[in-house]
Amino acid sequence: MKNKLPFYLLASFLVLLVLAGVSLHMGVYRFEESSVWKITGSILSGDGSVPATDAYIIGKVRMPRVVMAVLVGSILAVSGTCLQGIFKNPLATPDLIGVTSGATLMAAITIVLGESVRQVIPEALHFSLVSMGAFLGALGAISLVYTIASGNGKTNVVVMLLAGVAISSLGFALVGFMTYLAKDDQLRDLTFWNLGSLGGATWTKNGILAVVMLGTYSYLITKGKALNAMMLGEKDAEHLGIRVEKIKRLTVLFTALMVGTAVAFSGSIGFVGLIIPYILRLLFSSNYTLILPLSAVWGAILLLAADTVSRTIVAPSELPIGILTALLGAPVFMAILIRYKKSM
Amino acid sequence: MVKGHKISYSHKSYSILKGVDVSVEYGEMLVIVGPNGAGKSTLLNVLANELSRNTDDIYFKQKRFREWDILDLSKNKAKFSQHYNSDIPLPVQDVVLMGRYPYFDSIPQRSDLAAVEEVMKETGVWDLKEREYNSLSGGEKQRVHLARVMAQLKNEVAHKLVLLDEPLNNLDVKHQHQVLELMADFARRGNTVITVLHDLNLAARFATRVLMMKNGRVLAQGAPGEVLTAEVISEAYGFPCRIWIHPAHHHPVILFGN
Repeated sequence: MKNKLPFYLLASFLVLLVLAGVSLHMGVYRFEESSVWKITGSILSGDGSVPATDAYIIGKVRMPRVVMAVLVGSILAVSGTCLQGIFKNPLATPDLIGVTSGATLMAAITIVLGESVRQVIPEALHFSLVSMGAFLGALGAISLVYTIASGNGKTNVVVMLLAGVAISSLGFALVGFMTYLAKDDQLRDLTFWNLGSLGGATWTKNGILAVVMLGTYSYLITKGKALNAMMLGEKDAEHLGIRVEKIKRLTVLFTALMVGTAVAFSGSIGFVGLIIPYILRLLFSSNYTLILPLSAVWGAILLLAADTVSRTIVAPSELPIGILTALLGAPVFMAILIRYKKSM
Repeated sequence: MVKGHKISYSHKSYSILKGVDVSVEYGEMLVIVGPNGAGKSTLLNVLANELSRNTDDIYFKQKRFREWDILDLSKNKAKFSQHYNSDIPLPVQDVVLMGRYPYFDSIPQRSDLAAVEEVMKETGVWDLKEREYNSLSGGEKQRVHLARVMAQLKNEVAHKLVLLDEPLNNLDVKHQHQVLELMADFARRGNTVITVLHDLNLAARFATRVLMMKNGRVLAQGAPGEVLTAEVISEAYGFPCRIWIHPAHHHPVILFGN
């Protein structure tokens, strides 16, 4: 029973690194002569030895986008793993129980109706208005779903999923309604949010995502033991010295924060939180001390790979990334249903 | 060790425990017996701090439960529950390792792995260590959880408490005796065992004290020879029985029926 986590993590990081290099290289724009490595080196040292266009493409377009794919993918996978852990079901992911829809819904409302609010608040907050809206939407959705589905110390997962369907329908209707109220530029924003895209990546957004990620991970990523123990039952986890109620409350709050931020910057990208834990469970059974940290890296790998494909497969056009994740996610959803139908 | 004065508990206006007094000392093995619905499990849950209200009357090592640090408490007291989630997709070894969670942060120490191995050998589940927990039989699962509970209490703390709710379910005769021997031995080392059992003969054989419950009250409490008499048993269960004395161990042997 040796601890293999450091080895697995290292191997996963290497895969991610190689993939990031490949992804930087791929795209519609062809570099004149210099390689991706040379350009990156030149940007970092600031010597201006490479053509300005090349430096711009890498430093301002591809690099931020690669970093955002890594951050968003990681955040989505970890939030999925955490929710599955506290609700003890592999289908309890942010998109299926309506958390993503809640965030999208509030983001849409903030985009369209935020205009009037925008005039009275300081400019620094304009940027984070949509993030705040998305976070509140996510938090509202998860609280609502949890309240509806819980009773007598148990959480009914079927009720949770159905509540998710209800919230998604509401979101769909209200986002549809918003498109009729929206002006042209807002309409573009709305479409972007609904389908999900990493096209809007900037270093500022990445900074905010990184802060959210570091803040929430510093608490969540070490909770593998607690999630394992909760498989015994919540009372029995408490006998093992685990503060079950506190962990559940903070996990719900942090998941809402993570999903809210991810949706605010990249729209609703589905299924990452379903696919990654599923694959990791096949490899490592349900040991959360392994799959929780590993999902942070593999979520990044999945979304980076999907984004690289989405912007090269139909070049010079771009496929919304949500299409790709759904193509992968729907079969996984089916597989989980078949495997767990007895215990539902 | 554990003292509870006039413990009462009710669920939706239905009163399950009606003023139960319990006091258990170091080195004792208290066996709670009684007919179905007597409140045995509820009493055990109250003593285990599972029902967060109504625990103010209970003192564990002279302190109320809410005065304890939860991690410290987990090194002093462990509980074996009657019903466990049957779906834990982990290898057996990882389930037993959960008992060591209070002792390490993210990577189990050598001492943790040693404790796991020791208790798994004691409970006879070491051969199952690589097996998937979900593939085990009911009795094997039961022993895995027992190993986990004992792993939790492998430490230097002087007086520990273990609570067991019908630990013998699904076990064959040999394992029933093995488990109770293990518990009696644990008690002899200055610890306390409180367990709910159905089998009165096993209670007579292993208990240092027996607590007979009926309708949420204590019907009788004391040494096995004092409590397990024909009168008390017939009153509790409403079923006739005869008492013999075990020729070798001199404890009561109960034969049910006329």
